[in-house]
Parts: sequence; structure tokens; C-alpha cells
Amino acid sequence: MGNVVTYIVLIIGAFISVFPYLWSILTSLKPENQVFSSHFFSLPTHPDWGNYVHIFQSVDLGRYLLNTLFVAVVSVAGQVVFGSLAAYAFARLDFRGKNAIFLAYLSTLMVPNIVTLIPLFIMMKYLGWINTYYALIAPTVLGTPVGIFLLRQFFLTIPAELEEAARLDGAGILRTFVQIIIPLSRPILSTLAIITFVSSWNNFLWPLIVTNSDQMKLISVGIASFQMQYGTEWNYMMAAATVALLPLVILFLFFQRYVIESIQLTGLK
Amino acid sequence: MGGVSSHAHVDLKYGDGGMSTTISTRTVHSDKSLMREKMARSLAPYLLVFPSFVGVMAFMLIPALAVIVISFFKWNMLSPPNYVGLHNYVDILHDPIALHSIVTTAYYVLLNIPLQTVVAIMLALLLNRRLPGMGIFRALFVLPWLAAPVAISVVWQWVFDPTSGVFDALLSSIGLPRLQWLASPTEALPAVALVNIWQWTGYNMLFFLAGLQGIPKYLYEASELDGSGKVRQFFSITLPLLRPTLLFVLVTSVIGSFQVFDTVYVMTQGGPGTSTNVYNFYIFQQGFQFFHMGYAAALSVILFVVILLVTLFQMRFVGKRTTYDLG
Repeated sequence: MGNVVTYIVLIIGAFISVFPYLWSILTSLKPENQVFSSHFFSLPTHPDWGNYVHIFQSVDLGRYLLNTLFVAVVSVAGQVVFGSLAAYAFARLDFRGKNAIFLAYLSTLMVPNIVTLIPLFIMMKYLGWINTYYALIAPTVLGTPVGIFLLRQFFLTIPAELEEAARLDGAGILRTFVQIIIPLSRPILSTLAIITFVSSWNNFLWPLIVTNSDQMKLISVGIASFQMQYGTEWNYMMAAATVALLPLVILFLFFQRYVIESIQLTGLK
Repeated sequence: MGGVSSHAHVDLKYGDGGMSTTISTRTVHSDKSLMREKMARSLAPYLLVFPSFVGVMAFMLIPALAVIVISFFKWNMLSPPNYVGLHNYVDILHDPIALHSIVTTAYYVLLNIPLQTVVAIMLALLLNRRLPGMGIFRALFVLPWLAAPVAISVVWQWVFDPTSGVFDALLSSIGLPRLQWLASPTEALPAVALVNIWQWTGYNMLFFLAGLQGIPKYLYEASELDGSGKVRQFFSITLPLLRPTLLFVLVTSVIGSFQVFDTVYVMTQGGPGTSTNVYNFYIFQQGFQFFHMGYAAALSVILFVVILLVTLFQMRFVGKRTTYDLG
């Protein structure tokens, strides 16, 4: 009896979680005349790709997608490489000023993103980076304190004896790091990669203020301006939303377990 | 350690030469490489930290300090900045839209947090019963977190549409009064909050689920022997032991909902009227529509202070007694 109630509640919860996705996908495959006449969750009589053809022709969605992918991949690569190098130094090496620098990093965790928005924008303006990939990538590509903190905590749990052995064999710092630490840190590195990729893909406010040319738009900004143009032509709007939403959903279907573990790992501070 | 390796190397290389030369070369060579090794060891940490140091300084710490300086100026980015002292702050205190946006944001946070947190804990409790198929439900509950807020807001906008949306059809089919949702000054903010709750509940549930799985079973077995029921167990064992998780979830989700922007930008643009003009949206308007850089900077400094105080408050009252000795 209790189990039946559990399943009923979970099924309702699951339906609430997926229905906006479902609705946007179903509507995106219906021609305009079926959007209002047919029942909400009815399947289109036959899938109509016309909405997609139309939106890809009227705005440069392909370009937005490539921009978004490029920015996300570079951010992930930069954060993983530079972040793990710094985290390794903080976790394992002794150097003058280490604590002061680490404390400075930690202090930025208290600063909400919006606080640095105005100065960063002014900085980009003076650097001449408005409407360039530099502005989209620079703020995170050298590693963020959150990521470095996460990696450092993980590195601290790796037994130091493993590195001692490698060093006795004559391996330098970099080789020890690459051959011993990196292979043992796959879970936390993929965590950082996944979280960075998702937040970069979905990012909106920063790209909104540092780009205004059409060819520099990321997908979120593209959707927002598409909305200004198409308003309530829901068949087109749902197709555009689906284009932005579906890539992450598909990735999730493949890496579901990793993604969930990744989220949980970020809570273990 | 580096020294050891260079000795070994030297021995191999010069080992079969004459005795005297071997010794002298060996000493000189190993001293040199020892020094190089030492240099590398002491320089290496700085090289490793350097890229991130540049990043953190240039894009976080310096801007975080610069925002305070900018807040003392009037600056539209066309003419040179003009020092005005605390004038921007005084203006904010007399700006009814700014004050209203503070109230709106506080209301928004209150709409979000309790519902989102309670539902997240309930779902986690259900999933923790470990019945068949729980993995699938867990995955489905995480899906909303993945959604780009801008794209999903477009979808929700239609869900909320007062004449053709899903919710309208739902309400009228079961005979409830129709709502205006985003078109109504009183319903718009709760509607925006609903989207946020939809997006984050499953995500927060994951932390509670991990927290629940960390609670040792024998505690429940012991309390069952004492004859306490499920409800009693929840309040005397589960909730106290979830406290660290609860603190983490509350702190992060409160900070997050204080900074709501994307959903408002897409669904309401702050309207109808100023009913969803949340704080971040007002900062955006002041900074990037009116180009009042100093004023927007002062607004962000205030937000920083408010978030800091709220976080400290939560740590004080939710975070107390977070460690339990389970030994």
C-alpha cells in the first residue's frame, strides 16, 4: 500500500519534471494550424519539420550553436587544466604566500556574480573585447575558485605515499601530477567538466551584455532575441527552445550516472 | 629526492672513466643539477598557480573592489566619471523602484525556498526507500536542472498563457476559476517562482538523498526498538542529521534566488508594471539600458552586503550543532 502511494507521487513528480520538455518537442513538430486545435499532448498527425526549417533559415541558429559549443568546450578545457594545476599546488606543495593566496581565492566565493558585472563590463569595453570570444571566455577560462577548491579537496584525499614513490623513481612535479594524480582524479575532473559545460551552455546574462552582433550570439541570447521577433508564434518558439534544450538532454541520457554523481560531489565541501 | 636521481644518473654516465675525474665531474655536475632541481621545486608552485592567479585577480578580486570605487561616481561611459561620494547610495534610499525591487526580491525568495526545500526533502525520502525503478525517477527529477533558463522560460510562457496555455485548460476543465498568470500583477511573481521551483527542486533533492544515504541504519533500528514511529524518527534522527545538507542547500539556493534574472528577462521584463522587477533586473536596467554605471554599482554593493548578512544569519541559525558524534 505504502509502495503504491510512493510510486504514484513519484510518477506525478516525474511527469511535472518532463512535461515542459515534452510539450515543447511535441509542439515543435506540429504545423501552425494544429498547434491550437489539437489536444495538448497529442502526437502530431505526422511529424512536420517545417518549423525547424523555418527557424534555421530565418535566424542563424547554427552559428549560435557553434558559438555556444566552442565557448563551452574552451571553458571546460581551461578550467580543468589551469584549475587542476593550481589545486595541486595548493593541496601538495609548500610555497611562500600559499595560505594568503588560497584565502584570497576563498574570499571570492562570497562574492555573487552580479557584483562584478559592472566592473567586468567596463573592463571588456576598455580592452576592446566587446563582441569577441575573449569576453565570453576570459572570465572563467583560467580556472575559478569554486573549481579549484573542489579539486583541492579531492587531491587532499589521495594518499601522499603514491607520489613519494613516483618521486623516488625520479619523476618531477609535473610528471607526478600527470601520471599519479590525474588518473586517480577522474571523478572530480569529470564533475568539474560537466558542471562547467552545463553552466556555460545555459549562461545568459554575461553573453547578453558583452555581445550584440548577430554572429557572436550564444544560443540563449539568440533565443531571447528570437522571442522578441516571434513572440507568440508558439510552433516556431517551441522549435527554437527545443534546439537549445535538446543537446544537454541527449548528453544527459548518455552520462546520466556521472552527472548525478557530479552534482552530489559538489555538495561535499 | 631529485638529488638522489641525479646522482644515479651521474654514476651511470661517468662510471667507467678514471677515478679522479669521475669524482670531480660528479660533484660539480650533481651540485649544478641539484640547484636546478631546487630552483624548479621552489618555482614550480608559482608557475602552477600563476594562470589561475591572473584569472582570479583580473576577473574577480579586482572587479569586486572596483565595484565599490565605481559606486562613488556618476558615470555614463560617454563623459568622464564624476566623483559624487555617497550620493548614489542616498539616491537609492529615495528611489521607490529600487526599494520596491528589494521587497519584490525578498518576496520571491520566500515564495521559492520553503516549498522547494520541503518538496526536495520529501522526494529524497521517497527515493531513499530503494524500491525498483528509483534510478529512473532520480534521473527524471534532475532533467529540469539541465534546462537553459531562457529556453525553458519560453516554454513556460506558453504553459502560463491565459487563453491557450496548459494551465488554463487544466483549471477550466476541472471547473476552477481561470488565472491570468504572467499577465496579472499579483500572479506573475508566484508564476516566475514556480518555474524556479520546477528547475531546482530535483537538483536539491540529490543532496538530501546523498545526506539520507549517509545516515547509519542502526540508528533507526535502535529507535524502532524504543517504539518510536516514523514521524518521530524523522524529527529526532533524520532531520537533525540532515542539518549540514540543509544548510548547504539553503545557503546556495537563497543566494541563487536572490540573483534571479533570466526567467524574468524572458517572461515578464519586470512587469506587469513593476510587479516582477526583481533586484538583478533593476541593476541590469540601470547599468545596461540607462548606462548609470555608478548607480548600478552601488545597487550591486548593497546586494552583496544583503546576501552576506543573510548567509551569516543562516549559518548561525541553521548551522548550529551541525556535527553529531556518531562513534
